[in-house]
Amino acid sequence: MDERILEFGALLRQHGLRISPAESLDALAALGQAGLGSRQVVKDVLRATMVKRSVDLPAFDELFDLYFSALGQAIREASEATGKSLSASAEDYQKLLEQLEAMLRGREQKLSEIAEALLRNDDGTLEKRLREAAERVRTGQQQGNRSFQEGQFAHALSQEIGLGEITRQLEELADQMEGQGLDPETERRLRELVKQRLADLAELLKRVARLEGDRGDPRRRDATKLAALAEKSFYYLSEEDIRRMQEAVTRLAQRLRHVVAIKRARAKRGSFDLQRTLRKNLQFGGVPFDVQLERRKKHRPQIVVLCDVSDSVRNVSRFMLQFVYSLQDLYSKVRSFIFVSDIGEVTRLFDDNEINQAIDLSLRGDVINVFAHSDFGRAFKTFHRDSLSAVNGRTTVIILGDARNNYNLAHEWVLRDVQRRAKQVIWLNPESRATWGFGDSEMDRYMPFCDVVEECRNLNQLYRVVDRMVLD
Amino acid sequence: MFESIDDVSRRFAEQKYICNRNIATVVYLAARMGKPILVEGPAGVGKTELAKVLSGALGEELIRLQCYEGLDEAKALYEWEYGKQLLYTQILKDKIGEVLAGTGTLAEAVDRISKQDGIFFSEKFILPRPLLRAIRSERQAVLLIDEIDKSDNEFEAFLLEILSDFQVSVPELGTISARHIPIVILTSNNSRELSDALKRRCLHLFIDFPSASHELEIIKLKVPELREALAEDVVAIVQSVRKLDLKKSPSISETLDWARALAILNVESLGEETVTDTLATIFKHEGDIRKAQGEMRDFVARQKAKAPRPEGGANPDDKDVLH
Repeated sequence: MDERILEFGALLRQHGLRISPAESLDALAALGQAGLGSRQVVKDVLRATMVKRSVDLPAFDELFDLYFSALGQAIREASEATGKSLSASAEDYQKLLEQLEAMLRGREQKLSEIAEALLRNDDGTLEKRLREAAERVRTGQQQGNRSFQEGQFAHALSQEIGLGEITRQLEELADQMEGQGLDPETERRLRELVKQRLADLAELLKRVARLEGDRGDPRRRDATKLAALAEKSFYYLSEEDIRRMQEAVTRLAQRLRHVVAIKRARAKRGSFDLQRTLRKNLQFGGVPFDVQLERRKKHRPQIVVLCDVSDSVRNVSRFMLQFVYSLQDLYSKVRSFIFVSDIGEVTRLFDDNEINQAIDLSLRGDVINVFAHSDFGRAFKTFHRDSLSAVNGRTTVIILGDARNNYNLAHEWVLRDVQRRAKQVIWLNPESRATWGFGDSEMDRYMPFCDVVEECRNLNQLYRVVDRMVLD
Repeated sequence: MFESIDDVSRRFAEQKYICNRNIATVVYLAARMGKPILVEGPAGVGKTELAKVLSGALGEELIRLQCYEGLDEAKALYEWEYGKQLLYTQILKDKIGEVLAGTGTLAEAVDRISKQDGIFFSEKFILPRPLLRAIRSERQAVLLIDEIDKSDNEFEAFLLEILSDFQVSVPELGTISARHIPIVILTSNNSRELSDALKRRCLHLFIDFPSASHELEIIKLKVPELREALAEDVVAIVQSVRKLDLKKSPSISETLDWARALAILNVESLGEETVTDTLATIFKHEGDIRKAQGEMRDFVARQKAKAPRPEGGANPDDKDVLH
């Protein structure tokens, strides 16, 4: 049993749960206390000792069911099915088995262990041997660096347990039933039993192979897919990808929120604060028993986002807006604007609606004309005229766009004014750096007035940018 | 001490706390193995309640330490009562003078005083905070450390030390060891990741929103005056509301609030008006109320369509009075 638990721990580890030796020992000790009474108890005990994060719960539940019951259950089911097919009642079946047992004991040649377990209905041993064989095959395959294939695994497994030999032995046994002095009916049924068990074994082997396939890293595959998704350029996303991207963005935002909270908390304690110390210690007659340190004020940056929502950059804007709003509670004020050629504020939409809905609404065309041709200059001019007051010394201005102006006037002076007023101006360009300045791209005109200019082609880059934004 | 997992369930039920198998198992293990329990889950599912019930079931004292950002050793473990010490010195000025009578040099005076300094740093002047109280407790206590995720890393490290040995060194008094290791319950709202070391020390318990049947049982136990049919409606509504995408899903404590409100208002059946009026008990955000209103209206309409209840048939008021 101990090995089983340790093996289970290894399986969990494979799927991303962090199980240390200490936890495995705890699990074993706890099982000792609680007893192995029922499956539910074992599950609860293992969950309490091995799962340390709530995000791991679903994985644990799935793997527990897969590991602890699948094979054992399959074996039991097979035995039961065989029993039912041969005789009417459980007692009959039992009697049959006893007769078989007697016969086996009388024989001179011993059968192989698996064959014996099979005939004796020794589920425990059978399960154990099959598992061990599976383990050996698995290790062998991993060493050979072969990818998993169910049929091939089943084949290797049957070779490992020596299926050929077992088959031969059982067939021999069936043939030898004649001279045993049994009545014809019993003889027939025994022969039937042996044949059936052989068929069961073949079936079980297939089952083990299938289970092997199931347990082989469903989650790991997911994780690598996600990493690939984060690297994928926004331009090449399919519908499905967009949906998964949204989940990824929410999760990244969560993580960032935690990181920021910790980093901010650490920056709290400062130097000795005389005023507060004296005030605090008046109760002790001014003797400074309780020293107070300066608490650096938590400042939350303000953000103003200007998002280009023309066709070329629609995807990026969507995620940018989503990301920023997911981090709403880290900022004291987020104001967002979208533009193509005219510019409009969408802050209200995000306040009143749930985030995805708000994004849909703003991109639909109610606020501004999304079907126009990009005109950065005009949009900036309008912003300058109407909303420059949104920008002050605590504001970080983020502009998201490819700066492709369709050869309209650039009006970069707007950006100069904005930069003067704001804390910092960040420009995120979804195009690759090599194309900046070519054709109708006005990046070289806008760049001098930006503090930070970054390429923002995929999720990872987006994350890094926002990271920097928040921590400053 | 608990004898078995069933014993835990039974004793909890006596305290009017319906716990599922998982909770009972973990509590049993914690009691037997002497490990702390880290309880996680959404707000209002009964994490703090669990500690109260446990202390009731064991018949032991509940010592509570509420964590917050900036909580430090002094406020958690013990503090010297400086004020008291100063006061005593002032009052006893004359006596101190007497003690020092006859000393010639300063060194002699200091020497004589130092022989007495044990007094001012004695147990009299220690103000024990929850952790020290738990350690010094005469009997085994239940120590509840609430909202550990609100404290900072330094406090966590300090707590880890205490949880390992249940021993504290007061320089003036020496080492104080716990006579009985308390049963420790830590609750967390998952607002930040706890340190691995602390997590490894504890057994984990995740309490989620209850299932429909479970929730119904709890309402029947805690708000027995509410009619069964009404209780079923309440549970059905809350369960369906939880499936919506809300800022804060109502948890079991909100369900109980609503049930109690309905009982107080002597409501006969859940009509649209009643529901709208009492919505505020289960939702804490305006946005959520709006979202749920649609769902509520659907439910009430479905109820009306399903089976016309015999209103005012068998004098329902009498039944309430009898309870």
